[in-house]
Amino acid sequence: MIFREVEDRDLIEQARRGKVEAYNLLISRWEKRVFNYVLRLVNHREDAMDLTQDVFLKAYQHLPKLEDVSRFAPWLYRIAHNEAYSLMRKNRPESELEFEPRSSEPGARMFPIELSLAVDGALNRLTSDQREAVVLKVYQGFKFEEMAEILSCPVSTVKSRLYTALDLLKDALAPVAQ
Amino acid sequence: MSCESNDLKDYYFGEAEPGARQRVESHLETCGACRDELSRLQLTHAALGALRDEEIPRRIAFVSDKVFSPRWYQRLWHSGPQLGFLSASMLACAILVHAFAGPRPVAPPASIVTAAVVDQAAIEREVGKRIDLAVTRAVAHSEQRQQKKTVELLQAADRKYELDRQSTLQAVTASADYMKRALNRDYALNNFGSGQ
Repeated sequence: MIFREVEDRDLIEQARRGKVEAYNLLISRWEKRVFNYVLRLVNHREDAMDLTQDVFLKAYQHLPKLEDVSRFAPWLYRIAHNEAYSLMRKNRPESELEFEPRSSEPGARMFPIELSLAVDGALNRLTSDQREAVVLKVYQGFKFEEMAEILSCPVSTVKSRLYTALDLLKDALAPVAQ
Repeated sequence: MSCESNDLKDYYFGEAEPGARQRVESHLETCGACRDELSRLQLTHAALGALRDEEIPRRIAFVSDKVFSPRWYQRLWHSGPQLGFLSASMLACAILVHAFAGPRPVAPPASIVTAAVVDQAAIEREVGKRIDLAVTRAVAHSEQRQQKKTVELLQAADRKYELDRQSTLQAVTASADYMKRALNRDYALNNFGSGQ
């Protein structure tokens, strides 16, 4: 993990000096994670793909402003969060957000379809703030402090959102999570 | 520890403080409800884990383009050694230019010139006044000193004259006494010598 972090730092420094190849290597390390994070926020593959590209373009343009290179991940996810919410606000007001059933999307699943649909449905019944807290903690593995940085809110708020969401998910998934 | 506490969830996610972690572990040994709650959390987490990450449809890569590459001043600004060298060079150039060109007098505005002239005249008047005063004082002091010296000289001359006069008087008195004694002796010799 530490070795990986050092490598990222080197790539960031080289990218700052204008080496696009180094930045492309950095993208290859993070693109899948960022794509899945954005996908679980907007729930649309094409939008998620476009957003991921925008995130990395914006990150490249603002890379010189990154003060602490070791905080690259929260910084990158903060950009992704802003881009995703910007699109969500532009498409539909928050109260009218209705997510497409992902079962209709192409792509093979490597798990039982019933459980997948149940989890998908349960996540989509959460508010966007609660869902994002679950995605950042459960799927992206961030610490509370990093989540607070990404979401630009106190750690206590992050915990509140996450624990409320977990209680709701626990009830929603009880029939299938046996 | 209370069963309602969020410490159990913090503990589950590995973000409880060391003290809180020990408290939760002790509590779990005695509380069946919290053990059940922990099991439900694990099951929920496992269920969420069934939703795997999807592969990205297209790989993202940028091509080297001047539009996206940082400008020369951006690269310079973020390079400490280059920025330091540039600063030192600019400082050296500024010193050289200053040394060879030297400061050039700049003509001040007319209003400032007038003010300067007025100020200069006032200064000259003040200086003249102070010089006159100083000269007057110096002359007075000199005259006083000369007068004092003259008085001292006169007094010394008087004393010398008095001393000379007394000396002369003493000499005359002594001569007179001597002549008187000599005359008396001659007279006595003549009278007594003729009377024998």
